Amino acid sequence: MNHTASGRSSSGRPTLSNTSSSPAIINHHPDANMLVEYASGSLPWGLSIAVSAHLQLCQHCQQQHAKLSALGGSCLNDAPKEAVNDDAFSRLLSNIDKASTPAEDKVIEHCQQTAAQTLVNAKRAGINAEHLPRVVKKLLPPQLRWQKISNALKSARLITGQGKHEVAFHKISKGGKVVEHDHRGLEVTLVLEGSFSDEEGIYCPGDFLVREPGQVHRPTASQNQDCLCLSVCEAPVKVTGLLGTLLNPFLSIQPA
Amino acid sequence: MANPTPLTTVKPGEQRTDTWSELLGRVGEAQDQHAFKQLFDHFAPLIKGFCLNNTNQSFGNDAAEEIVQEVMLKVWQKAPSYDPSKAAASTWIYTVMRNARIDMMRRNKRHQIDNSPIEVDDLWDEDSTTGPVVQFQRLRDEEVVQASFKILPNEQRQALTEVYMKGKSHSEVASETGLPLGTVKSRVRMGLQKLQAHIAGTAHAKVQA
Ligand SMILES: [Zn+2]
Repeated sequence: MNHTASGRSSSGRPTLSNTSSSPAIINHHPDANMLVEYASGSLPWGLSIAVSAHLQLCQHCQQQHAKLSALGGSCLNDAPKEAVNDDAFSRLLSNIDKASTPAEDKVIEHCQQTAAQTLVNAKRAGINAEHLPRVVKKLLPPQLRWQKISNALKSARLITGQGKHEVAFHKISKGGKVVEHDHRGLEVTLVLEGSFSDEEGIYCPGDFLVREPGQVHRPTASQNQDCLCLSVCEAPVKVTGLLGTLLNPFLSIQPA
Repeated sequence: MANPTPLTTVKPGEQRTDTWSELLGRVGEAQDQHAFKQLFDHFAPLIKGFCLNNTNQSFGNDAAEEIVQEVMLKVWQKAPSYDPSKAAASTWIYTVMRNARIDMMRRNKRHQIDNSPIEVDDLWDEDSTTGPVVQFQRLRDEEVVQASFKILPNEQRQALTEVYMKGKSHSEVASETGLPLGTVKSRVRMGLQKLQAHIAGTAHAKVQA
């Protein structure tokens, strides 16, 4: 979890009377501030990808988000009214006419194409697409390029249409330990497959972690399965071990 | 405070929400132009006011008119997917407007989005899969949220309004108001906590009633 008592409960505060049945146990969520920024549209694109992916996995946050959207609706209701141009409605009707090519058919066709394409793309990349959030599936390129960072860690950058954040898959091989590193900027990690642990706990699919700049950590994947994460970083991660990158191969084969 | 829209036939509050939701439902089911005109007359000035009020980016009158056109076009096109049991019309239209604003801002920096595999509607996607129980709760929450918002302490309501109305990130609010980032964050959090408590209280009361 990131910083202090955020208004958001990390473990299912009784927000509503009878919502205790959640399919997966997710213990780490985006905090209230981040959800608000997401719901109001001011969260940067890169971070919004991670929040959106988490929402698709987490019913608890879906409900929070529904409330925050309702709050937006309430603000809209209370906005000061400004008269629109006299011809606004007739202009709208002609815009509707112009746009009335059956867009829906196109959309459906498009979605089906991408769904089929996704499976192919994922298979090629060695990823099980079944449980991936929709938005992550869409980000899968035809050719995912894995880059080996150490024996235990590889990463593949994703094209997301923005430059502020680096969005990437990280894969830690089973039992693998990642070299100690810190961040110049905020780093968000969403676990997608498998699990990993660090000094503070163990993280499973759906868990959403925020690391503040300067926090140092050494994730280790669980023994039974490779761990796939989506990561969103403000700035490239730098290695801080005494011997820098040279240390990686040795660290990665040390027992956890 | 809230400025309940002075409408002749509709009472403010929950009643009002239901009426608009019903109209939007009719637009979706039957492409009812008469219902659409009523929605337009109500929401178009609100959308324009919302955008002009957005001091974050200088929306001129023309840009605000364009957003109105775009949002209401999307409302017409997407109405068939609107489910009144999931969200109130105002909330649904808010999300359409939010997405249109994000889209417009992104199109202004086109060089970045040309090769993007995802679009605004992929990231802010209201069709999340949720069971019927949750859907029912959504509607009830919405009514309560809208009522609770109005009883928040000024400071907190203002902080939340800044973030929503002006589409600002916390750090943008902080640098504009001169408040420390931590203060902005905690006002937003406290506002949300109060809302949460009020919602829980109301839900509890309803269960007992
Ligand atoms: Zn969550």
